[in-house]
Amino acid sequence: MRQPAPWKLALLLFPGLGLILIFIGAVIYIAVAQSFGYYNLQGESGWTLEFWERTVGRRAYERSVSYSLYVGIVSAVLSVALAYPLALWLRKPFKGSLTVSAILKAPLLIHGIVAAFLFLNVISYHGILNQFLVSLGVFDGPRRLQNDDNAIGLLIMQVWKNMPIALLLLTGAVQAISDDVLRAARDLGAGVWARFRKIIAPLSVSAMQASLIIIFIGALADFTFQTTIGPTNRQSMAQYMDWFKERARWNEAAVVGVTLMVLSLLGSIGLAGAAQLIFRGRRK
Amino acid sequence: MTTTYVLNRGLMIMLLIICALWLIIPFTMAVLWSLVDPSQPWTPENLLPPAMSFYRWEFAWNNSLLQPALLNSYLLAPSAAALTLLLAMPTAFALGRYQFTGRELAKLLVLLPLVVPAFVTAIFFTSLLYQIGLAQYRFWAILFAHAILFLPFAIRILTVSFEQVRQDHIDAARDMGARPWARFRAAYWPALKPGVLASLLIVFIQSIEEFAIAYIVGQPGFVTIPTLLYSSLGQDFNRPNAAVLSLILAVPNVLLMLLLERFLKSANPALASGKG
Repeated sequence: MRQPAPWKLALLLFPGLGLILIFIGAVIYIAVAQSFGYYNLQGESGWTLEFWERTVGRRAYERSVSYSLYVGIVSAVLSVALAYPLALWLRKPFKGSLTVSAILKAPLLIHGIVAAFLFLNVISYHGILNQFLVSLGVFDGPRRLQNDDNAIGLLIMQVWKNMPIALLLLTGAVQAISDDVLRAARDLGAGVWARFRKIIAPLSVSAMQASLIIIFIGALADFTFQTTIGPTNRQSMAQYMDWFKERARWNEAAVVGVTLMVLSLLGSIGLAGAAQLIFRGRRK
Repeated sequence: MTTTYVLNRGLMIMLLIICALWLIIPFTMAVLWSLVDPSQPWTPENLLPPAMSFYRWEFAWNNSLLQPALLNSYLLAPSAAALTLLLAMPTAFALGRYQFTGRELAKLLVLLPLVVPAFVTAIFFTSLLYQIGLAQYRFWAILFAHAILFLPFAIRILTVSFEQVRQDHIDAARDMGARPWARFRAAYWPALKPGVLASLLIVFIQSIEEFAIAYIVGQPGFVTIPTLLYSSLGQDFNRPNAAVLSLILAVPNVLLMLLLERFLKSANPALASGKG
């Protein structure tokens, strides 16, 4: 690879990286500034820690933070764990494998809100699932499954929607592993788990990290699933931020927004680091 | 060999059952709900709606914001896909073909729009638009935001594509006297094509699905498919009407997926670059 002239490099990077830095930089700047009392739409602007102190002290803030972290981490880990075996199964083409991969990737093109509606339909009080379980005698009568307090429905939908993203990223990475390496490992007596742990996972760790990060951030900042199928006794951070914004409390919305950004970053580093440590740590 | 065959068959059958539970039953329910005639409600004693008609479909087409929403979404998505591709190409070329100090940092910084949650971007981008007085140009603001938000996908995919272009192919083309365009066609395009298609596809999908920016920047009055469906699920929830909207919004995307899956079948990066 060659080393380009600095002016040429700058010119090449500007429309992509340059615009990203300007746009995101401006958004982060406004959010951080508003959380410290600047850029008020009404009243005076000026440095203050008041909004941070007032918001962070609330129990609702604490609850929304821990709830969103829970949804983010569980969704990311479950989606990747489910995508790996499927990616390995589809590594080599076989009769019907393209159909299988199309079916598995279908959720990518079904809108999240459509999926939420379909799901609501199936699990509603008089929905098909309730009727089925009643007819089997599992339930005595229909039960309320919608918006369950433990967010199980929400997690099912998060995994349903996000698993194909992990599958898409992992399939490429897993296909790039050469057969020779896997055959050699098998000849040396490595079992399925050992082959995964010592060869497949380390060789596809960057795709795994990318999947974990993309899914984690999406689920951490989820608004639509939470407001349609999520538990009604909890608020996700995006929902909480929107709640403040709707009441024109921009500074407090900014506090939640900045927290959300910081957690996205820290959580991503944590998940990527954990993947690296677990699957790359023992490489000599 | 036979064990693999049996295993694959077994797994396929299992997958089809899961798929039926996962996709076919929910969609059938939605179709049935969309056909419920308002004269007789569908109660749990009946397996099928007692009276069926296309009343809800006609009603939704004529009396909701469906038409402008379709127009807005299907104008936004291809525009965003094309614009993103255009903006991503130079950066991806630099990251894929050149070695320079700060290359790894640049690759990391490209991911920034993914780190900042969409709702944060949406709310504070709106705040920015108000402060510079451009809030009334909603379509252009949303298009601009979409193009930049989805750049990371395009840049990451295309960087890999540019890395896969083989220097010996370029050199061979040059040695045989190919001009820049012919060199591009012979050495670059085969390796780039899957990446270009994948970028267009992923940005198109992301833009069609994008909710936060369209919802917050578009307020009030600018509707896209997701914002319209969201509002139909919220304030005045009416199951048959929401079913109509869901189907109108979901079916084109599924057809598109089948088309693009076919499109991408030949686009295996490992084959295109001569590895395999």
